[in-house]
Amino acid sequence: MPLDVARLAPELAAITGARGVLSRPSELLVYSADGLPSYRKPPSLAVFPSTRDQLIAVVRHLASVGCPFVPRGAGTGLSGGALAERDAVVIGLNRLNRILRIDPDNRLAVVEPGAVNAHLTRAVSPFGLHYAPDPSSQTACTIGGNVAENAGGPHCLKYGVTLNHILALTVLLPDGELVVLGSADGERDGYDLLGAFIGSEGCFGVALDVTVRLTRNPEAVRTMLADFTSLDAAAHATSAIIASGIMPAALEMMDGPTIRAVEASIYAAGYPVDAAAVLLVELDGLSAGLDADARSVEEMCRSAGARSVSTARDEAERARLWLGRKKAFGAMGRLAPDLVVQDAVIPRTRLPEVLATIHEIAQRWKLEVCNVFHAGDGNLHPNIPYDARDPDATDRVSHAMREIMQACVRAGGSVTGEHGIGLDKLEYMPLIFSEASLAAQCQLRDVFDPDRRSNPGKVVPVRSCREWHQLPSVRSAAAAVPA
Amino acid sequence: MITGTAAVQELREQLSRAANDRTPLRIRGRGHWLDAGRPVQAAQVLDVGALSGIVEYVPGDLTLTAFAGTPLDEIAKVTGAERQWLALDPPGPADGTLGATVSTASAGPLAHAFGGPRDNVLGLQVITGQGELIESGGRVVKNVAGFDLTRLFTGAWGTLGVITMATVRLRGLPEVDESVTIPIDSGSNSLPALLSSLRTLQIAPLALELLDAPLSRRLGAADAGSLLVRLAGNGDAVRAQRTILGQLGAVHDAPPNAWRRLREIELEATACAVLRLSRRPSDVADCIGAIHRDQPEGESAPVLMHTAVGRGVARCIVPGASAGGLDALLRKIETLAGSRVAERLPATHWSSMASAVGDPLSRRTKQSFDPLNILNPGILGEKS
Repeated sequence: MPLDVARLAPELAAITGARGVLSRPSELLVYSADGLPSYRKPPSLAVFPSTRDQLIAVVRHLASVGCPFVPRGAGTGLSGGALAERDAVVIGLNRLNRILRIDPDNRLAVVEPGAVNAHLTRAVSPFGLHYAPDPSSQTACTIGGNVAENAGGPHCLKYGVTLNHILALTVLLPDGELVVLGSADGERDGYDLLGAFIGSEGCFGVALDVTVRLTRNPEAVRTMLADFTSLDAAAHATSAIIASGIMPAALEMMDGPTIRAVEASIYAAGYPVDAAAVLLVELDGLSAGLDADARSVEEMCRSAGARSVSTARDEAERARLWLGRKKAFGAMGRLAPDLVVQDAVIPRTRLPEVLATIHEIAQRWKLEVCNVFHAGDGNLHPNIPYDARDPDATDRVSHAMREIMQACVRAGGSVTGEHGIGLDKLEYMPLIFSEASLAAQCQLRDVFDPDRRSNPGKVVPVRSCREWHQLPSVRSAAAAVPA
Repeated sequence: MITGTAAVQELREQLSRAANDRTPLRIRGRGHWLDAGRPVQAAQVLDVGALSGIVEYVPGDLTLTAFAGTPLDEIAKVTGAERQWLALDPPGPADGTLGATVSTASAGPLAHAFGGPRDNVLGLQVITGQGELIESGGRVVKNVAGFDLTRLFTGAWGTLGVITMATVRLRGLPEVDESVTIPIDSGSNSLPALLSSLRTLQIAPLALELLDAPLSRRLGAADAGSLLVRLAGNGDAVRAQRTILGQLGAVHDAPPNAWRRLREIELEATACAVLRLSRRPSDVADCIGAIHRDQPEGESAPVLMHTAVGRGVARCIVPGASAGGLDALLRKIETLAGSRVAERLPATHWSSMASAVGDPLSRRTKQSFDPLNILNPGILGEKS
């Protein structure tokens, strides 16, 4: 049903004030994408509550009129997940960006959903603490968005993903009911609804506040750059390090095309431009023993065929090595106006073979692919720069991406490691889940949002849910049991 | 004996039959938890214990998939041969099953460094209360595809579905893995300050437990209370941490098998009750103090307590011989701030515990996945 903007806009403005509501197409353009060029749809109405009470009132009002909504953080999700389809109202959470409390002794903080990831780490750094999950978009992305996506980042290899760093959430369910999930004051038994909510991509409601676990800054860090003349050798070095029992804080790989894009950009980090691949390996922890681990890692890289292995001499050099990695997506903007990226995950032993397959697929479709990814946990990020105005190129990109995804699934992988399903990967869900498994996911959604008004049409193909509804419904289970 | 996928099919049929005639089922693995006294109203046992065996193990991937009835010690043996391990050490005998560990979300001292089952399970195969065989998660270490049923079934005590297979994350065994004890009077008034300074030390132990005096004596660790610390890494890292721990007191090698004995202490003490109290780490010393103050002097079978000080979880084991003091202990615990979880209680006492799944969202979850209420009914204290 089309949104009745003329009616709804003033009703929402009565809650947030006129400056909290956007309804003009020109103002809404910026909310029409989340970094993926393949999905673009401007919403017809967006509302920006600036207090918790306003947010509650907005959600309750939308519930009372039965209007769907899409919670949105910074819009950096790269899966089409934050787009308002079917005329849902966008609820922008950026104004709810306060850090409410920091408890350094217990290493936790309470933040509003729109608090920016990097701002949280900056705020707690005087206490020698940081917030561990560090997506490449951390200077923009919000903690609420991270919760919705179960976001990762390079340092999740050692420290775990968002799921492992959230202690509690206050959640506003789509019907306006308030619930507290998890606890920061001791263990909770019962169902892990906190775990179920994290990564639900905005389909289970809106987090009003987030209690995060903080991590002590490591006493020492060694950041190493290993330079390889073949992707295969870099992949083998990765496997060797992972299997050795040494757990690097991060283990990232960049291939030749990525290196050259970075080095030609303002983010030039000093990567060797003639390398087929580099590994960025970071070890951290107690200073005692760190050098011994660094020597082992260097030895493993050299045995796998590294031409050279160097260690950042100071914090400035370390920051430069990381900036190149974290801004690699931006650097690829030099290659073409648009960029698509996937984030399939494969078993780590399959890296050499799958990277070769990706290369072959790209060549066959006459495309350039830049691989920059979390090698340590097998989380690929094949990027394809192209011009979306060229229908032929767009078509070839979409074929290649589908083939890459299929190859990853065939290798025993998953279709997304940190970006989420959103709209972009809906079509791949049946590749990894049976109809019954997808239907069970719909059941879980219905526990939180029986009307399916929160971020409708995302994550699980609607078809799966429809079929579920044709099955004996859980609501009439007594009648459904065969005699 | 039917094994593997055929056995899963058999279980599924048994479950479907139970759904047809609404027979409530008690789900059973090795049976270690059955005497915890939890109030389950079941007419039949659904035996998952025979569904055992490792399905897939590729050492280079550091993941392992096994049927639910696979004993943890078997997993330890197979992965140990590759210098890897599953870093979960739930209380109970070494042959407890993977399925039970995940279903009950049981965590031991290693949770200090590695989290609990929810942090280590990558994917599950489950039969729901409607007899549907479903899969969640996957076999890779990072995965956000779809809604997270893995977390939902982990710790649900089988009330939402029967776990038939699990994929877990493994880790490389550290080069050096050694444990030490340091005498600490856990009854002392200076405990809060001591725990506070402990949190600032530059150490990264795998496990860090404060044992009270009775438990320390029992394990041969010290006469008064003690800290039991598991250090790991390369030789340099372990040596440095031993030195740092010296700031707290004399550092001794831990008695052999201290961790294994700690995991089984409730069996050794023929415990009638095991209760966990938890608070923020900065406040857990208050819990410990409050329980201590209530302990009668010269009790022949005193309450045994160990506290994961990094996580703020104190675990009280009430020996069978002190069952008479249980009511007083429970009343005391009632008055303390923080959360309470009962692991084991006499059947008579469960009704006094509030249900962990009584809230509307949990009730809707149960209604959705086990609408006929045939899976372990009552085990979470839920009122049907």
